[in-house]
Amino acid sequence: MKIKLMLLAVSLVSFSSASAGFDFGKLLEERLSKELNKDKQTQPTPAQTTTPAPAAAQSAAASPPPANQKIDARQLGFALFGDYSLEEENRIGRQISGNLLGAVPLVRDNKLQNYVNLVGKWVALQSGRQDVTWHFGVLDTEAINAFAAPGGYIFVTKGLYRLLNNEAELAGVLGHEIAHVTQKHHLKVLKQSSLIGALGQAASSKAKGSDQVVQNLIGNGAEIMARGLDKNAEHEADRAGMVYAARAGYDPWGLPSVLQDMAALPAGDNRTSLLYKTHPHPADRLAALGEAVDGRLDAVRGKELADRFYRIK
Amino acid sequence: MKTFLIPAAVLVLCVTAASAWAAPGTVLRNEKLYSQPSASAKVAGTVAKGASVGILAKQGGWLRVTSGKTTGWIRLLSVRAGAGGLGGTRVGDVVGAATTRSDPSRVVAVAGLRGLNDEDLKRAQFNADELARLDALSVMAAQARSFARQSGLAAVNVAELPKPQPEQSSSPWGDN
Repeated sequence: MKIKLMLLAVSLVSFSSASAGFDFGKLLEERLSKELNKDKQTQPTPAQTTTPAPAAAQSAAASPPPANQKIDARQLGFALFGDYSLEEENRIGRQISGNLLGAVPLVRDNKLQNYVNLVGKWVALQSGRQDVTWHFGVLDTEAINAFAAPGGYIFVTKGLYRLLNNEAELAGVLGHEIAHVTQKHHLKVLKQSSLIGALGQAASSKAKGSDQVVQNLIGNGAEIMARGLDKNAEHEADRAGMVYAARAGYDPWGLPSVLQDMAALPAGDNRTSLLYKTHPHPADRLAALGEAVDGRLDAVRGKELADRFYRIK
Repeated sequence: MKTFLIPAAVLVLCVTAASAWAAPGTVLRNEKLYSQPSASAKVAGTVAKGASVGILAKQGGWLRVTSGKTTGWIRLLSVRAGAGGLGGTRVGDVVGAATTRSDPSRVVAVAGLRGLNDEDLKRAQFNADELARLDALSVMAAQARSFARQSGLAAVNVAELPKPQPEQSSSPWGDN
């Protein structure tokens, strides 16, 4: 499979440079979405190296494609084939998180932030993914939402935190976001969008510490966080989030309880507008979870820990 | 003794008030109502998908609901809270959310509360200082384990939940 991809990469790149008029981007898109979907059928192999990518980058650099095709040779080297390396994943996660924090800062309450990091880390320890450094932060906005970025960056908003009643609910919400990282949902979306030619369109940022190569990959600012994932990824994260919280010893019904509280909010509440743009409605998520859970968690007895739950001022 | 009685009385009042007040809910799939919050309890009745119920109480993965003359316990995941009816896709708030792109002023309209919309995210500039602050908050595994132990949390084996049968044959990339 890998050799095939490498051959494909080299042949595609050299082929396109030989015939400048050919729609290179479109060809790549079609051929690769086929390859990627084929990949989906098989089990993802851990730590696929990016060997094919440098090959592609080199041939592309040797004979750069015409400027109007918007494909930057540097991004061709950014794991166009195979999975992103851990280092690339971290770079992507840091850039997205730094941008998100540029839109909305952390709540200035160290006790709160420390508490959320302790709960989050404990839940993440049950997720089976320990190659990333987990970071958790509460964002200072009344919007009701939560975000995950590759590399283990997890955020909940103050508005969502205010809806929570106990530690098990927090664990469930964090579990959902942790699952987006363990399942690499955003990396998959990013891979696809970079393949269909969204490269090199980001406005150049002069901000200190900003990584322009990654920024070109992820588009403007933190817009990737506003684009959302497909609903199957959200349902998958709901299932995994419940399981991670339960494995951590919490009552597994924390996440569904939060979804119930969201479902009960009045329609058109402005605090949920971005959330519902990027997530299925809580009613749909509850129904999908109901199908998957049924009686499977009836025997699980976990803790809610309402007493220890840190109440926000 | 007296000082103990007052909070106890308040508690009793609260519980009574909560059970007398039923929050609206909608049944998400055909379900049984049980006499106790357990699938091995006696079945008190059934409810059909789409039926309206009144939610009286919550206990773990169960809700105590009234449906017509029947009161019983139903699985938490078989009901949605709120009066929005079945499903979410046709609910007005979703349509409303889609319009915020062209009208960002709507998002910040609530009593001075700061929202967060897609334009904010798109315009966001990298903030290295906040990211450093986030880095500094990260905790070690040993700290998290000790934190868990303090409240008697222990890791337990829970099997993964099965992926439901595909509803449609759409690709995992579609439908964004």
